[in-house]
Amino acid sequence: MRLSAIRAKLTAICGSRAVLHSKEDLLLYEYDAGLARARPDFVVFPSTTEQVAAVVALASESGLPVVARGAGTGLSGGAIPRSGGIVLAFARMNRILEVDVANQRAVVQPGVVNLELSEHVRPLGFYFAPDPSSQKACTIGGNVAENSGGPHTLASGVTVNHVTGLEVVLADGRIVELGGKSSEAAGYDLTGFFVGSEGTLGITTKIMVKLTRVPEHVSTLLAIYNDVRDAGNTVVEITSAGITPAALEMMDGWTLRAVEAAAHAGYPQDAAAVLLIELEGLRETVDEQVLAVEAACARQNAREVRIAQNDAERQRLWYGRKNAFAAIGRISPSYYTQDGVIPRTRIPQTLEHIQQVAARYSLTIGNVFHAGDGNLHPLILFDDRSPAETEKSIQAGKEILQYCISVGGSLTGEHGVGIEKRDLMPMLFSDEELQVMRRLREALNPRGTLNPEKLIPGARTCMEIRTPQFPGVVS
Amino acid sequence: MPSATEPVTPPQLDELYRTCVHCGLCLQACPTYRELGLEMDSPRGRIRQVMLVETGQLDLGPGVVEHLDRCLACRACETACPSGVRYGEIIESARARIEQQYRRPLPARVARRIGYRIIADFKLLAHAATLLRFYQRSGARRLAQSSGILRLFRLQQTESLAPQIEDDFFFRELGNSFPAEGARRARVAFLAGCIASVAFAELNRATIRVLQKNGVEVWVPEAQGCCGALHVHAGLQAEAQQLARQNIHAMLASDVDAIVTNAAGCGTTLKEYGALLAADPAFAARAGEFAARVRDVNEFLAALGARPPARTLAARVTYQDPCHLAHGQRVRSAPRELLRLIAPNFVEMPRADSCCGSAGIYNIAQNELSMQILDTKMNDVAATQAEILATANVGCMLQLRAGIARRGLNIQVRHVMELLDDACRGA
Amino acid sequence: MIAAEHKLHAAPAEVATPAGESEAAEILRECSRFKTAVVPCGSGLHQHIGLAPQPPFVALKSERLTQVEYYDPGDLTIGVGAGMTLRELDALVKPHGQWLPVLAFPDRASGGNATIGGLLATAMHGPLKHAFGGVREFCIGVRFVTGDGMRAKGGGRVVKNVAGYDLMKLLIGSYGTLGVITSASFKLFPRPRQTATFVCRFPGLQNAMAVRDALMASPLAPLALEIISPGAAALLHGHADDAGWRVLLRASGSDQQLARYRDHLGNAASAELTGEDEAAAWSLLENFESALPPDAVVVAVSCPLSDVAQVLRSAERAALERKISWAGIGRACTGSLLIAFLGGSRPEQSISAVHALRASAPPSANAVIRRCPDSLKAGIALWQLREGELEIMRTFKNALDPAWILNRGRYFV
Repeated sequence: MRLSAIRAKLTAICGSRAVLHSKEDLLLYEYDAGLARARPDFVVFPSTTEQVAAVVALASESGLPVVARGAGTGLSGGAIPRSGGIVLAFARMNRILEVDVANQRAVVQPGVVNLELSEHVRPLGFYFAPDPSSQKACTIGGNVAENSGGPHTLASGVTVNHVTGLEVVLADGRIVELGGKSSEAAGYDLTGFFVGSEGTLGITTKIMVKLTRVPEHVSTLLAIYNDVRDAGNTVVEITSAGITPAALEMMDGWTLRAVEAAAHAGYPQDAAAVLLIELEGLRETVDEQVLAVEAACARQNAREVRIAQNDAERQRLWYGRKNAFAAIGRISPSYYTQDGVIPRTRIPQTLEHIQQVAARYSLTIGNVFHAGDGNLHPLILFDDRSPAETEKSIQAGKEILQYCISVGGSLTGEHGVGIEKRDLMPMLFSDEELQVMRRLREALNPRGTLNPEKLIPGARTCMEIRTPQFPGVVS
Repeated sequence: MPSATEPVTPPQLDELYRTCVHCGLCLQACPTYRELGLEMDSPRGRIRQVMLVETGQLDLGPGVVEHLDRCLACRACETACPSGVRYGEIIESARARIEQQYRRPLPARVARRIGYRIIADFKLLAHAATLLRFYQRSGARRLAQSSGILRLFRLQQTESLAPQIEDDFFFRELGNSFPAEGARRARVAFLAGCIASVAFAELNRATIRVLQKNGVEVWVPEAQGCCGALHVHAGLQAEAQQLARQNIHAMLASDVDAIVTNAAGCGTTLKEYGALLAADPAFAARAGEFAARVRDVNEFLAALGARPPARTLAARVTYQDPCHLAHGQRVRSAPRELLRLIAPNFVEMPRADSCCGSAGIYNIAQNELSMQILDTKMNDVAATQAEILATANVGCMLQLRAGIARRGLNIQVRHVMELLDDACRGA
Repeated sequence: MIAAEHKLHAAPAEVATPAGESEAAEILRECSRFKTAVVPCGSGLHQHIGLAPQPPFVALKSERLTQVEYYDPGDLTIGVGAGMTLRELDALVKPHGQWLPVLAFPDRASGGNATIGGLLATAMHGPLKHAFGGVREFCIGVRFVTGDGMRAKGGGRVVKNVAGYDLMKLLIGSYGTLGVITSASFKLFPRPRQTATFVCRFPGLQNAMAVRDALMASPLAPLALEIISPGAAALLHGHADDAGWRVLLRASGSDQQLARYRDHLGNAASAELTGEDEAAAWSLLENFESALPPDAVVVAVSCPLSDVAQVLRSAERAALERKISWAGIGRACTGSLLIAFLGGSRPEQSISAVHALRASAPPSANAVIRRCPDSLKAGIALWQLREGELEIMRTFKNALDPAWILNRGRYFV
């Protein structure tokens, strides 16, 4: 089918105001918050599940890739149309369909912004627990695709722990309901399996999520260290003491100074590291834990422990953390955010290794991360105008991930594999293990039209299917 | 009148847009993105378009200009941006380039020029406003429709958006001084404002009375003109620089503690005179000094310590942040502090710092989208169940009144200074 | 106290006990080639669930897969072979003040015999699901062998990981139909240092539900909250002197924290259990299913929170109308209920009660038959699966077990 014929069909499905096809418009959908770039042939804005189904079916018939896009805040290129095709933009499917307080559930369309759901249900005493740093912009559909985490997932879990049901459009355009409002369902846990599948198994059109009760009491502490190793050891000390903080975040000295310049959160400028520790729950529980955490910090040579005295102080401590990545933009024109995971007992030695990598490549690398679950975010600064430096930073990132894996970790904790880490998957999985994943993908995505070239390396992709039909449109 | 010259120098755009790391955290802060859901109509997307044009990857054609035109320049994205991207400067530079390099369709071009000429010149403005008043009072539509200002206010479509032209223009106060009541705590130069002078003369008088009551002597410099905000936003750089020079000349006196305005949009522009004239060796230093002394009247009074007024208001009051105050000047708490002095029934409005869609002449130039943004805003206004909607900028007041009329709500829109004046006078 | 293991329903033609993953893979490759049915088997605790695979079949036992792959208490993670039992795992982590919150008393309940493979395959859970969720929430890695002998892996050793498909989710609750689990990794939790259990008794279900609703509206976060029907209480305690409903609430924390629960419950709590009494009460509950008479028909109902009362009432009515007794317990705050119809010598009455329960329960509820006389299984849908989901399940089954040898019949006829 020719592109013009496809355009006519897309227009017939969604209306002319919901289809973008001009070069100047498509150029605006070739990026997200990561490094990958590729231009779609069409951007379509469906407003109903049926429209999504019709578009997906059309794509399947014509062998055209389909890539879903929420707000484009992803860091692994999940929304980048690597082989062109149709970007399904969910900006117009952004309604909160139902809030069911009695069952502690909400039903939302994929384009609902993460923070807006929390704000919507907060007057009722609830919130949506997964809180990626991009929560004021990212969509819940994107959270589902990537199985997003966030600072507060240490105690409350990542997206998959908060999704009980999905409505999904399969590759052939079938609409299927998975799970429901119950906490479990008979049969395979398809809901759980679809979350984090990065749009390679189906397109989510409706999401049933758990709502979490706003805790009675929250206490936020900032522990300041002169030695980054002491901060790392505190993490183990706290969890070994039987305390699971709601959040346990770490920033190294370099990042602190960068964030402070941008966010004025009141962080110390001369420290080697800080821990941001949040405790929540019953007032009595939190009060006891604050004392225990303070003691743990002191045992690990914390120079000072500050406790936020009110909500404004708490917000200020978090403001710097939540805006840390992008605040680096003030310092460096480009940066590469890595997302490795290590067992939390390995934090001190891993940070040391990262600095060795930085020295070897003559790069600046800052660290701001979810220390409680060992989810590192090394920020590698480079100048994207220099191809050599870009390559160098990607190599350094790869070396860091290799180290994470060597100490028993993983190559992504919450950003997803996408295109960014697809070719690194063999560091973690054998050919056979990848082949099993490929089989599962092909079972539901037989023509490879759903988010091709993502997640699993070296598979048959839709590039091969469509290249002869659309030469030259793949950027 | 001094004539407009060429702009002194274009800002270094590439250094500005390269600070954007395209994280997307600005998207939901942008009223046009929230309404349209299009990346092209988001701050990140607009920066991208500017970059693509600058690097020759995209032509400066109608497809790009459309989206840059749709920007409210509310700068809510700057508040949301963690990287400190100076979006306001990017969009202004881009608009300057559009003015220089892009040929709009003829009718649009003519209308824009006439409109900006008129507000740049107080005499022309008074004349045009007289015509408008005549139109409003006599219904002499044909006469009025041929006037440039009519197109500026797009009366044929949105009559309710036009300011009610007052009987007594503020221009006659130019050159006057108003003494402080009691011991003098400060002396300020007051910016009359262009639209304010014809449509909000009473607001200006109220502002002066409030200042006087608080021990402030107010001087209204005679040779002042329009602040140049609309010209800057529209990319008319040279005209804006000329107006800045005129105002610095007229208002910057050594015995003035502050240069005060009650219009948030004007305040932001006045505070940016330093940057506007940075490349002009003859004016750079004085422009910097001028900018440093500019205060929004709310900011000025809160810092001075407003005297508790004679009485308080029983009504439920909420507050809409003017973009140029909250995002442009980062003044958020001052007007709220003043309101809490007089309104014990103050309630916060959700998304109070999201633009109402007024945005200078946006509600005229982008009427349909502006009304869409306004209607969304009215949902939040209605949810507060307030009887008085306070704000601190005349443009916002006009827009909000139009929104309330469209929705059939029974809510008064008042400037914070008017409410303070009522409270001081025991009205 | 520990009940005898349930046996396989029929004698296997062959028993294979692989020593590791590659042996298991070899066996499955061969079985696949000859389309020989395979029944993965741990301790055999759950073999009665679903339709029994027809002989001849090979029993693939995990009894030699009992290795500890790693355990670093500082990380609160552990990796073990699929043949290790919950009881053995508990003994490993207990000295470090940690636990795997599936069973609170694996040393007492027969469920403690369950293997890690069985735990995952059946998505087994008990009262602790209230606070910790099901095993899907804390299984962080799994290794398994597909039907045709491919060695597969999902997740890893770290608590946060989105590299590749979440195969843990796919395998959990798949009843051995997709692969044979060889090892798994878990997130562990700090073991509570002090606990207390509050016993509330009510004349009617309505009062019990009111207590649940008040608790859910409060900031309190107990370890477990279990509702117990009058029949279940009689069965557990061996006498029927108390006809009322019960709610058992177990909380942990310091004296001050426990005081909050005491204050909240006020008069509603009639007794407070600690130490041995508390352990006894909860292990009875954890043992509920195996303590039921052999002819009981047991259904696991999962429903939204607001439907819990209606499901329990439906069960009560179904039993009353058939003049049989019934017993129900469950997690009133997660909507996971276990309901047993005790038809005695008239098991068809129990089956008829299940039909009635399914018909009168809200449509959002799902009732899976866990136990039922083999002779009656053919006449009733054991799983309530929706066609759309079933189709996807078949697709995945084809992908991982192309010869359909694994637990043939368990889910799919």
